[in-house]
Amino acid sequence: MTLASDTWHVFVRYLQKLVRNPILLFFSLFQPIIFLVLFTQLLTNLSNFPGILPAGVSYLEFATAGILLQNAFGSALQSGNSIVFDIDSGFLQKMLVTQVSRPAILLGRLTSDAFRVVVQSAIILALAYVLGAFVTTGPVGILLIFFTIAFFGLAWSGISLALGMKTRSSETVFAIGGFLTFPLLFLSPALFPISFLPDWVQNVSMFNPISYAINAIRTLMITGFDWTVILPAWGVIALVAILTLGATLIQFRKVVS
Amino acid sequence: MSDIIAVKDLIEVYSDGTKAVDTISFTVQDGEFFGFLGPNGAGKSTTIKILTTLLKKTSGIATVAGFDVDKEAKEIRKIIGVQSQETTVDGDLTGRENLMLQGHFQQMSGEKLKNRVNELLRLVELEASADKRARNYSGGMKKRLDLASALIHEPKLLFLDEPTTGLDPQTRATIWAYLQRLNREEGKTIFLTTQYLEEADKLCKRLAIIDFGKIVSSGTPAELKREVGADSIRVALENCERDKAHAKELILSMTGVSEVLESNEECLNVYAKDGGILVADIVRALDSVDIRLTSVTFSSPSLDDVFLKHTGRRIREEELVKAPSAMFGGRR
Repeated sequence: MTLASDTWHVFVRYLQKLVRNPILLFFSLFQPIIFLVLFTQLLTNLSNFPGILPAGVSYLEFATAGILLQNAFGSALQSGNSIVFDIDSGFLQKMLVTQVSRPAILLGRLTSDAFRVVVQSAIILALAYVLGAFVTTGPVGILLIFFTIAFFGLAWSGISLALGMKTRSSETVFAIGGFLTFPLLFLSPALFPISFLPDWVQNVSMFNPISYAINAIRTLMITGFDWTVILPAWGVIALVAILTLGATLIQFRKVVS
Repeated sequence: MSDIIAVKDLIEVYSDGTKAVDTISFTVQDGEFFGFLGPNGAGKSTTIKILTTLLKKTSGIATVAGFDVDKEAKEIRKIIGVQSQETTVDGDLTGRENLMLQGHFQQMSGEKLKNRVNELLRLVELEASADKRARNYSGGMKKRLDLASALIHEPKLLFLDEPTTGLDPQTRATIWAYLQRLNREEGKTIFLTTQYLEEADKLCKRLAIIDFGKIVSSGTPAELKREVGADSIRVALENCERDKAHAKELILSMTGVSEVLESNEECLNVYAKDGGILVADIVRALDSVDIRLTSVTFSSPSLDDVFLKHTGRRIREEELVKAPSAMFGGRR
């Protein structure tokens, strides 16, 4: 099956590029690590005030889900840069004159994005573990967390991929990424319990698609397999994915045809 | 039947209204070394993009090995190898990995691919650096790697878009040698574009001269030069503006002179049969009426004269004015 093997080769190429630029990987993890190690320290006394955090949960345990999502979000929003780079350098054209399966060019990119975010998440979770935050749902829960994050990452990669192909400008991709990240994170329960936030933020966060993914991961981390939280989150991610990956597909067709 | 490329009344109009290719027709025969010679922006890359299925034509007919470029793109991709104007190697990968990747894209695998990669590394003399990252290669090495990756699946037809632009003379000569070998020994049809006269003259068995999207002339280099018919003598005057009319009149009256054209670079271009003999006459005639010369250059007809004759310009002028990077944006 050429689609599968071509996707694999495109995937491996991006992975090789990632591994050979370890500094980039390190820097992209720098921010979540600082949040995990330092930011959680600032708010560690939050657990002394009853009723803010769930009973018996440290701020570190609480915040890990938000930090995982923050990382996945930032990572996904830079995905389009690689496509811009391949277009600019002519590498995409070089692929297009070969017999390579066209969808594989996109699928290889998306799967490598998903893989990358899972690796980053594993590192963050391992560090959180060292610092004292555990996943109560165990190995199965960890796998579900990885699945949710990978799925989330794919859905949001779509925005930057579509924009990258539309604008052909990595500056634009960077700018949009920076523009979206903080408003969406601050207007979600990423770093604070929803009950702790002002009413208007609570209301807005209900319409914020990333709130659902954060709640799902947090539930898997500190509560258990609560499917009434997890399934809606997957539903929202799927909705986002349809929109963003649909746009990506339309732009990709224009680039390829 | 032996036409591997057949193009008839091909037109490409970009969305901004630019007519990049304007009603061109030509054929390339199986096994031929064919070239497009023209300055930057003449429509060379656009034609290659259409023939290599990267760009949809606006109108006209274009077939490669009998396959329609729009409808049978997949079939065409199996038999063509393409080296684009921009060197496109992945700097994060080694030379060998670049070739392996390209082979995978061309649906090759296993021992067959490995052997082919080794063979190509030997051909382009990159064995010693095969396992170093391509990022550290010199410009010439990258071009050679790029050429090798275009050859990976043993295509019968090669498209090379300005394969030596920006290279030093030595590297250029090396690439020329590879290309001649590919054409002569392996029987590959090569379609090459260039803005270098010497390159077109040396490599191409037949060529078309292209300017502003139109083919202005085509034939073998010898035929084209014969078309100019005459040797050229470039006469540079100290005070060109003042003296050129008088000088032109004098030179035209000499026997054997067929044409005198004014040019920005050298003031006057004189075309004549047996021009060598005339040089002394011209110097004497101008001297006798006190028109001072700064130089007189004699040459047998070159492709540049062919270009000059058809367009009124020299290729070199363009080359200096427009940087190659100006072409990068014209992708679609």
